[in-house]
Amino acid sequence: MKTMEVRLNVNGEPKHWIIAPGDLLLDVLRREGYFGVKRGCESGECGACTVLVDGKPINSCLMFAAKAEGADVLTIEGLARGGVLHPIQEAFLDHGAAQCGFCTPGMILNAKALLDRKPNPTEEEVREVLAGTLCRCTGYRKPVEAVLAAAGRAGRKPAPREATR
Amino acid sequence: MFDTVEAFYRPGTVGEALRLLQSGKGRARVVAGGTDLVVEADRSIRFLIDITHAGLSYVRRRGNACVVGATTTMAALESSPAIRALASGILAQAASNCGSVQIRNMATLGGNLANGSPAADTATPLLALDAEVVLADARGRRKIPLPAFYSGQRKTASSKVLLVEIVIPAPPRGGRWSFQKLGRTESDISLVNAAAGLQLDSQGRVKWARIALGAVAPTPIRAVNAENLLVGRKADKAALAAACDEVAREVKPITDVRASAEYRREMSRVLARRALEECAALTGCSL
Repeated sequence: MKTMEVRLNVNGEPKHWIIAPGDLLLDVLRREGYFGVKRGCESGECGACTVLVDGKPINSCLMFAAKAEGADVLTIEGLARGGVLHPIQEAFLDHGAAQCGFCTPGMILNAKALLDRKPNPTEEEVREVLAGTLCRCTGYRKPVEAVLAAAGRAGRKPAPREATR
Repeated sequence: MFDTVEAFYRPGTVGEALRLLQSGKGRARVVAGGTDLVVEADRSIRFLIDITHAGLSYVRRRGNACVVGATTTMAALESSPAIRALASGILAQAASNCGSVQIRNMATLGGNLANGSPAADTATPLLALDAEVVLADARGRRKIPLPAFYSGQRKTASSKVLLVEIVIPAPPRGGRWSFQKLGRTESDISLVNAAAGLQLDSQGRVKWARIALGAVAPTPIRAVNAENLLVGRKADKAALAAACDEVAREVKPITDVRASAEYRREMSRVLARRALEECAALTGCSL
């Protein structure tokens, strides 16, 4: 099989990988041990494979790895710094915003891209980006609350518990 | 999945991309965002030509026209002040409905057209806006009207040429616009979509009309008979209803997993009515 080189930064670390020209970014990242990048639908519907490429969320199942040449890729593994969780991760814990956890990396990365661009989003804007990640446990309310809390919106009361099953 | 691919090229210019396309002898495919191409998983592809570094990501004014580079992403379109200001923002609105935030960061305007899907959300507003597309090949560039780009269902003029630019002429002065989409969810593929434009004279008579629909024929279409019915008539409820009846006659929908042909035909009428009513309301015309 033909191979090619790709040089990129993953979570701030320079990487030099040998890939096949038709490799998808999802497959390469998982092969290199980034298992926080989840393999879900593999057709751009579920968002479980979301990573940030140059700060923007994309579906890594739809992106050829060769396209990431020179890019800064952020996976969920790169969000905590020196053992300290990112405020969005803390907020997800505080709000019990993860159930089975499969969609959580995608949700958190989508939220990070939003908050980096828009530190004080409306609830509608939060819902708009979280819609890019399907949660089959069906719990969106707590993630929405967590993202709004992480955005530093004061005075929000926890909403009534939602039925999840 | 793409283990048959032998090389991935990232040309820095359109000329280089065209040379690669030619030397690929039919086994090379152009990739921009990749959101359709990867899902399609065509195993005959040997060479991939990524055109997103070929200088085709831009929104510019040229004379009175607005020109958009083929690899401009949906996300860039929705946030572009020029596109938001153009024709009540119908193209920006269509782009913002075109899949999730992740998809919109990858998917491109040129890709949405070149993929040839009859349900492409951006094709409908572009048809209503009389957009043209610029194609490049070894001999040079030519500009053709968007309808001429579509030769059939999922067939476009782009297999041996490169779609490089979309040209949107200045819309008529005082025109009013609307984009309507019906999907399972806001960001899902359209069951039916519609775009309309109306220009009325001081007496409330229609001077100029455009009605375009998606996902109701082998290609995105304009409902020309319905447009012609409106021109010269007062934009009242009866005239709009007659035009929408004509829309329902003009569409050629199919039944698939998402909806039946009958439902699509009826929804064509409904979306056309909503679009025309929104246009008429925006002109201050009370129905």
